[in-house]
Amino acid sequence: MKPFDFYTPATVEEALELLHTHRESVAAVAGGTDLVLELNERKAAPAVVIDLKHIPELRYIREEGGRFRIGAMTTHAALAADARIAETCHLLHDATSLVGSPQIRNLGTIGGNIAQSSVAGDGLAACVCLNADLTLRSVRGERTLNINEFLAAEGVQKRNGLAADELLTEISFPVPDTKHTATAFYKLGKRKALAISVIAGCMTATVDGSGVCTHVSMRAGALGRYPMHFASCEEYLVGKKLSYSVMLETLPMMHDQILEANRSRPWSVFYKKEGAQGVYKKLFADILGQLGIEEVQV
Amino acid sequence: MNNITVHCTVNHKPVTVETAPNKRLLDVLREDLHLTSVKEGCSEGECGACTVIFNGEPVTSCCVLAGQAEGADIVTLEGISPDGTPDAVQRAFMESGAVQCGFCTPGMILTAEALLAKNADPTEEEVKLAMSGNLCRCTGYTKIIEAVLLAAKMRREEARA
Repeated sequence: MKPFDFYTPATVEEALELLHTHRESVAAVAGGTDLVLELNERKAAPAVVIDLKHIPELRYIREEGGRFRIGAMTTHAALAADARIAETCHLLHDATSLVGSPQIRNLGTIGGNIAQSSVAGDGLAACVCLNADLTLRSVRGERTLNINEFLAAEGVQKRNGLAADELLTEISFPVPDTKHTATAFYKLGKRKALAISVIAGCMTATVDGSGVCTHVSMRAGALGRYPMHFASCEEYLVGKKLSYSVMLETLPMMHDQILEANRSRPWSVFYKKEGAQGVYKKLFADILGQLGIEEVQV
Repeated sequence: MNNITVHCTVNHKPVTVETAPNKRLLDVLREDLHLTSVKEGCSEGECGACTVIFNGEPVTSCCVLAGQAEGADIVTLEGISPDGTPDAVQRAFMESGAVQCGFCTPGMILTAEALLAKNADPTEEEVKLAMSGNLCRCTGYTKIIEAVLLAAKMRREEARA
């Protein structure tokens, strides 16, 4: 590791002051499961490192005004253990339960996962699928950015819109109404544990009283630089009565999109298009089961 | 670069270490505190050899910066049997033949200790899940899982006696 000065703020205000002062070359370390490795391998070499572990106000899971509000320093383990999330949002529960290993889940945080915006960030893919809003704070003030805008913007690093002096403090999204909305996650990896996602399939679907799809979100991590958006599949499903056979009709569109997106990486196309279809068959069955529409064995 | 002073509890004793901030907890434990049971394996949080118990939870010490250990309660293998008498988990690993080269064993034992502190009677599935972050490249996992289940049983019997 290259040398750096290290600070341990106890409050968000202190952290923001430090980020502002050292904005020329600074990194905030959350769980450390990405950044400490980058520092160790000298892929990152900031002059100053600011630890966020000692800021208790960044660790919370609240339900407020119909939304989940999650402090950025909440660990994957804490999210996986949360009963309300397990009950109402299978997508986030399963995504955080399957990250890395128990040791990594005890360290890694949802905020770190989003701020790092790694290609294979499972928490990131889940939050994109849930259309989460992010709260970013700096000494200049506070702004709320939708996660898609966050990923499309260019900040201090090319990977997302986070500015050099900004801190991601909160992730929020509507609490799914489980009567009409189902959410699901399926990870394809080389092993059950300690395997980075090859495909992290995420899906949410909402139906009205007669089982007609009113909203659907299909995103998959690790298929491209950012979680892939299967917009044509979504458009196809909205307005139709959901069933396994109708959902299977979207697979050719998914196939074409993956083919198109991976033209520069032709060696992975065959595996990814086949893999994604398998992943989504699992997700369709899970969603239909949760909504009580149809029991499908995949 | 300014050195930092880290105050923490290591193996049940308060410790103050002055160290360089660009060290990992793994390096501080091995180099500054000479706790060489903590093994450096992959250095990227994938193998579990550097596992320590950090505020009651197993974590990979290669992913923690020295300064992030401020105020933490850390247990390494040396803290499991401070007087040199092996505890139930260590005895169970020996009795089950769950050790071959031994490199992964400190991390395995600490992960098992953290599990048993929370769950005195885990199922085989719970053991497998808890141990899924520790890789062993010699033995396979059957005997390791047997050892953790045996340790749980031994410990429950010790508690009853």
